Amino acid sequence: MIVVDGLRKSIRNGARTVDILRGLDFSVPRGEFVAIMGASGSGKSTLLGLLAGLDTPSAGNVSLNGTAISYLPEDRLAQVRGKTVGFVFQSYQLIPTLTALENVLLPHELNADSDADGLPRARQLLTSVGLGDRMDHYPVQLSGGEQQRVALARAFVLHPPIVLADEPTGNLDTTNGAHVLQLLLELNRSEGTTLVLVTHDPMLADYATRRIVLRDGLIVSDERSPARPEPALSASAAVPVGG
Amino acid sequence: MHASRGKFLFVLLSVAIGVAALTGVRGFSASFRTSLLLRARSIMAADLAARMGQQPTPGQLKALEDVRATGVVETTVTETMSMASSPKSPDPILVALKAVDPALYPFYGQVELAPAIRLQTALGPHSVAVGDDLLLRLGLHVGDDLKVGGQIFRISATVVNEPDRLSGAFAAGPRVFISRESLASTGLLAPGNRASERFLFKLPPSPDGRPGSDTAVEALKAKLVAMLPDAQVTDYRETNPALTQGLDQATSLLSLMSLVALVLGAVGVAMAMRAHLRQRLDTIAIMKSLGARSSQIMKIYLLQTLLLGLAGGVLGVLFGAGVQLAFPLVLPKTINIPTDFLIQPRAIAVGLFAGVLTTLLFTLPPLLDIRSVRPSLILRRDTESEGSAETVGIFTHFVGRLPWLLIAFIVTLFSVRIVQHRWPGHGLALMLEAVCLFAAAAFGPWLAIKARKNPWQIGAFLLILGGLAVIATALSETPLAPDAPRVGEVFSVGLVLVLLILLGASAGVLAALKFFLNHTRLHLPSSLRHGLANLYRPGNPSAALLAALGMGVMQIMTVFLVQQAVVSQLHITAAPNLPNVFLVDIANSEIDGMRKLLKAQPGITAEPELVPLAASRIEAINGVPAATANLRNFSRRMLRSTQLTWSDAPPAGTRVVAGAWWKPDESRPQVAISQRMAERLGVTVGSTITFAAQDSHIDATVVALTSANGQHVFSRADYILPHASLSSLPIIWDGGVHVDPARVSQLQRALYQAYPTVTIINVAQTIETVRTVVLQITYVIQFLAGFSIFAGVVILASSIAGTKYRRLREVVVLKTLGATRGRIAGIFSIEFAVLGLVAGVVGIFFANLIAQTLLHQLNVAYDAHWLLNLGTLAGTAVLTVVTGWVASHRVLGQKPLEVLREE
Ligand SMILES: Nc1ncnc2c1ncn2[C@@H]1O[C@H](COP(=O)(O)OP(=O)(O)OP(=O)(O)O)[C@@H](O)[C@H]1O
Ligand SMILES: [Mg+2]
Repeated sequence: MIVVDGLRKSIRNGARTVDILRGLDFSVPRGEFVAIMGASGSGKSTLLGLLAGLDTPSAGNVSLNGTAISYLPEDRLAQVRGKTVGFVFQSYQLIPTLTALENVLLPHELNADSDADGLPRARQLLTSVGLGDRMDHYPVQLSGGEQQRVALARAFVLHPPIVLADEPTGNLDTTNGAHVLQLLLELNRSEGTTLVLVTHDPMLADYATRRIVLRDGLIVSDERSPARPEPALSASAAVPVGG
Repeated sequence: MHASRGKFLFVLLSVAIGVAALTGVRGFSASFRTSLLLRARSIMAADLAARMGQQPTPGQLKALEDVRATGVVETTVTETMSMASSPKSPDPILVALKAVDPALYPFYGQVELAPAIRLQTALGPHSVAVGDDLLLRLGLHVGDDLKVGGQIFRISATVVNEPDRLSGAFAAGPRVFISRESLASTGLLAPGNRASERFLFKLPPSPDGRPGSDTAVEALKAKLVAMLPDAQVTDYRETNPALTQGLDQATSLLSLMSLVALVLGAVGVAMAMRAHLRQRLDTIAIMKSLGARSSQIMKIYLLQTLLLGLAGGVLGVLFGAGVQLAFPLVLPKTINIPTDFLIQPRAIAVGLFAGVLTTLLFTLPPLLDIRSVRPSLILRRDTESEGSAETVGIFTHFVGRLPWLLIAFIVTLFSVRIVQHRWPGHGLALMLEAVCLFAAAAFGPWLAIKARKNPWQIGAFLLILGGLAVIATALSETPLAPDAPRVGEVFSVGLVLVLLILLGASAGVLAALKFFLNHTRLHLPSSLRHGLANLYRPGNPSAALLAALGMGVMQIMTVFLVQQAVVSQLHITAAPNLPNVFLVDIANSEIDGMRKLLKAQPGITAEPELVPLAASRIEAINGVPAATANLRNFSRRMLRSTQLTWSDAPPAGTRVVAGAWWKPDESRPQVAISQRMAERLGVTVGSTITFAAQDSHIDATVVALTSANGQHVFSRADYILPHASLSSLPIIWDGGVHVDPARVSQLQRALYQAYPTVTIINVAQTIETVRTVVLQITYVIQFLAGFSIFAGVVILASSIAGTKYRRLREVVVLKTLGATRGRIAGIFSIEFAVLGLVAGVVGIFFANLIAQTLLHQLNVAYDAHWLLNLGTLAGTAVLTVVTGWVASHRVLGQKPLEVLREE
């Protein structure tokens, strides 16, 4: 459950103040799949960053599952992020010195306060994104699509209630993009997570149950629509491409 | 934009600190050394002296004339004994007459008179200057008359300080200074008079006032030795070995430090430029994809580098000048360092040049990397390196370069040596070397193409090495260290070896760790695993950083170890209790009373040194009668008056250099003899010398050769025997005491009242000069070493800090995944600690090795300081970790989104 309340973000740039987000209010119930759309520069990434606690708002508040996160101290925030939010970046952002398996395991190691072994979970996730035989490979040894699949597995490893994704398919070709998206939706459904996805692609947004459109830092439309079935997948896309 | 300004500043600072250290150390030591060299010579009042027992032959006079024709200035000092009396009283006393040409004598130092008039004024045709003990004994005053050799002279002044008092004869009787003309007029120099002649020589000074170089001194010495076979030729270095040794050590150390400063600066620049260009890879890829050619891009960065090097150089020169100006302020008031620390244009030029050149040289490899940047980089940023094959890559790179490194090094070393020997002191060596190196640089790539290695990189490598060698040679060719080429050699050998070994060791350790990591990965605690894995971050120059760190640690540690050993030796030399007043001719019957009297004197601050002396002559050497013995540069006449003494152990200030001392109750006749005398007599351990005293003969076996530091009374006796051998001979004593300089005249009066026949030679002033000079050396050394070490630490720290930009993104990702700052700091700490420890171990090991070699050459004892070494190791690790933290501090505190945006 995400609650956004009077969210503002402005940046002082020399003498000028740029208002990036100018007062947003909305809430996302548990399990919903929201697509955020809007022209370039409309504030989508900024919003997503605030939702994940990667930045502090100028005014207003964000609360995740009842915890107001916006003004927490940095280290507390890190804990909330680790346990509550999975993040998928446009440019994957894997740790280059760690293997695929270690990358997926990382959130577990950073956050787990239980002794539960994260290994089976990490292995299972990697297998489910089709990388069961690439676990010991380093990010540089994987193609972009494969790296993004590792990133997906990493985002889901701790069963986060919320997953945020900023143009996760933006760097990928259509086939790979579709594959990643399909995996994302699958995981979202099987894990029952709340998913917020930033995208430019209207087709992609069609799969969402709700669509929020930003313009100049304001919500200009927020409508729910029946979700479309998942994208059909050509057989070839399951095979690693472009390595 | 913000970050890139920081990086520029960082390159700039690295250059600046390196150049500052270089100009500071060099400018400083160049001017300081000049004044030290002059001071050291003042103890002899000349560069060289030749002492003869008789008048030179016409042939020798002609040869001396030839020497003068080469620009060498010569003046003769005649010392003789004579009777002198007051016209008022009939009782004459024995005086030590010293006839000089006041227009020339002394070449170095000054004769201080009271009243403070010039020596030339004091020694007129009818006037003399005398020791104040003469006034005391004859009851005279300045202005009174003195009768010497039948002539009447007016006493124009008393002698307060005579610079070469220690190197002249220690004759009994008060000093009387007289001009040579006046001495001639007294008729005292009639044939048969036992006068000793000392020829003093001064080499033409360099245009900027520096005295003749030691090579020139050596050359003249050799010439004089050949010319005057029965003269004792000594150079200024032998008068007070302790002082000149200190000077040598200081010189070597200073040149070592300036080399270290240079290399550390270069390391800083290399690391900074590497980080800078890595950061620019994207830009370069974009430019390439827009159609820019490699050469165009390289030109841009070359210009940038040049500007950075120049700006850093200027900044460094300013800073270095500031350090020089500030130095006198941090000294104790009592240590009056000569204030001619003017900023030397030459030092500035060298500093700037070295700064720009090292910057350029060390930017070359990353610049050449531009050629291999593929435009596709913008598409796949993470693929910028060969990935996990990184370690292997470094290793093969390194092995591939090894032969070239060695070849370049050997070529360099040999060319330097040959050229330096052929044409010492010329810029020729430099030019030739530059040619050699450029040839090597051109030749290397060609060979490398054959070997299918990256030709440009090998060429660059050769060029760096060669450039460094050129700079190092340039530095040690100039006034700084004309006499200490060995330091440069030891240092370059050490540097190259260590560089090779460090690179090898780093690659090896990294490979071993990698192996370990790969086999234990998932069983390790995650922070440890992650920290170790970070050593293999793509584009993370772990091996390079390790080598840089290790080299830095090695250099800093070497400077520290050598500095410490040299300074502690110098402190012995400059001990405050050395004898500064000598007592000559104490009768054996007076010695107990003398001991008591000395004990009662308030001004005497150390145990008096009293040496028993037995007059004797040498009858035979190895059975060959003295009359036919083969002597080297020693007057046969001197064999007729030798002084023997006894001691159960090597006396203070005397060192056994060959053989061994006898046991305390030795009854066989044995003798320890100074090494210098042994050479003159042609004896060695095992030879026999037959001494004759009164009616007895002593056939003594030479059991030990000694070397004395010239600071103690015992060094006045060339022959030391066991007590038993001398027990039957008549003995007189000489003594040396340390007296508070202000109380010398008080002591003089007391001694004169009790023992009027004992001669007192006051060298308090000279000893004080030596002491201050040596103390000055230690202060300068410590200050400059401190500065070099500080600069080194700063540069190393900034090298580590320079890697932070590579860490930015990782921090952000980790934060996004929920890592706390503590956790991230933990991961980095492991990475840094491993780097620090490995670099520390290797660096410290080699520092000890190099320090040991250097100290051995400098004749200074080396001690392994285990605690110090361990401390340094811990310090290195802590420094790396703390610097890592400090550098990452801002990164850790940043909001993740800001960083993601900066990409
Ligand atoms: N640190 C900053 N300084 C100045 N302006 C900023 C800063 N951060 C964001 N902005 C501005 O805020 C606006 C919104 O940026 P944001 O990245 O959120 O847009 P976006 O909707 O994600 O665009 P895109 O679709 O191109 O990714 C942009 O105009 C951007 O220039
Ligand atoms: Mg965006």
